[in-house]
Amino acid sequence: MEDLIKEIKQRLVDNLQLDRSPQEIDTDAPLFDEGLGLDSLDVLELVVMLDRDYGIEIVNMDEGKKAFVSVRGIAEYITAKKAS
Amino acid sequence: MKREVVVTGVGIVSAAGISPEETWNSLKEGKSGLTPFSLLSSPKYTGVPAGQVSADLAALSGLEQSCRPDQLAVIAARQALKESFPNADSRVMEKAGVILGACVGGMSQSEFFLQQLLLEGVTDTDLLRFHECACAAEAVAEDLGLFGPCETISTACSSGSNAIFLAADMIASGESDMMLAGGIDSFSRLTLNGFGSLLLIDPQGCRPFDEQRKGISLGEGAAVLVLESAETARRRNAPILATLSGWANTCDAHHATAPAPDGDGIARAIHSALGQSGLSPKDIHYINAHGTATIENDRAESSAINLVFGDGMPPVSSTKRVFGHTFAAAGAIEAVVCVLALKNRAIPANAGLDQLDPSCPVRIQRNFENSDISNVMSLSLGFGGNNNCLIMTRGEA
Repeated sequence: MEDLIKEIKQRLVDNLQLDRSPQEIDTDAPLFDEGLGLDSLDVLELVVMLDRDYGIEIVNMDEGKKAFVSVRGIAEYITAKKAS
Repeated sequence: MKREVVVTGVGIVSAAGISPEETWNSLKEGKSGLTPFSLLSSPKYTGVPAGQVSADLAALSGLEQSCRPDQLAVIAARQALKESFPNADSRVMEKAGVILGACVGGMSQSEFFLQQLLLEGVTDTDLLRFHECACAAEAVAEDLGLFGPCETISTACSSGSNAIFLAADMIASGESDMMLAGGIDSFSRLTLNGFGSLLLIDPQGCRPFDEQRKGISLGEGAAVLVLESAETARRRNAPILATLSGWANTCDAHHATAPAPDGDGIARAIHSALGQSGLSPKDIHYINAHGTATIENDRAESSAINLVFGDGMPPVSSTKRVFGHTFAAAGAIEAVVCVLALKNRAIPANAGLDQLDPSCPVRIQRNFENSDISNVMSLSLGFGGNNNCLIMTRGEA
């Protein structure tokens, strides 16, 4: 899980062109608003990232809400999907 | 001095019907045109409620070798011109121009080209003829013999209204006597997957202003209005369906997709259109909202309507559940809905609503209702905070 979290942080920095290093990202901070500060347009990058890099399709907001809680949330979602 | 601009014909083709009469009947019966999506062989979105036109567009238009957006545009434009000119008058028509809103044009053809190229190595360049989103306006000009200005506006979901806005300006200033104005869009993988990846497609079908809403339903369609100076319309005894009494366009200058949450940009568009029309908020009897059913749009739009109208708010409804969100066609379709509402003296319902979202405190119109309305307003809001407001006043027809 820790390796996956590290990998996701790196991908977030690269794909969303975040102005900070992967180490500076709080694993449990909310992705949106006052947490990591992502917005509705960044969701598109996250959905594409999960599809392209992990083969997981997210097609609606209900699924998105489960997945995009925090970096740990994304990692747990990927792990659960891979296991099922 | 600015000239008065009137509507002398309307045409519309969508999931809710292939003529103004069929469309009005759908609105009257509160019938949603959404059906399980079956076009574009997209396994991810097949079956999701969408506003697709079931009629055979190639047969209906007679344009067998064309693409869906061009066929939709030509069908709607012919209807509009037919209403305006029961007896075709080529002398007037030759000077007329056409301005359409379009987001993706025949992009689904280009996508098919790419798919064939990548999977099978086939290069069918004929498919690329429709790539320009300007192709529909050109198809209309060619089909109807319109030799005036021919332009295309692409400002996302406000394109159709902005086409009407620009055409109205041209007529008011004396630059043109008659313009066909409207919008078209059909499905493409870009819009389907784009909105899908933004998680903005509601799997249950869109529910504007509902507290459980989860996004839009995609749709396709076209609507065209014949706009004309009142002077020439009266001279030739054309049916004056409505007067376009106010039109305005503003930008939030806030974000690439999301509207500014306070609704200030939308409110400025409403004030500007009201100012031009000489009407005050209390004179507006119905607002056809953009109401896409995304969380952000409906909240920002409600804020704006509250800012301007406050306690004196007229009935508000979004008709997106009836048509789906037809992008560049939406503003034109809803302008036609407003013309039909004035003509038939009735207010269409906000279909798809169960519980009104408390964070969208608008005076929602739940049911279709006969009402002696004289002035109506249509709002259209595009990505990037591109806000359009049109005001229409009942005509003489």
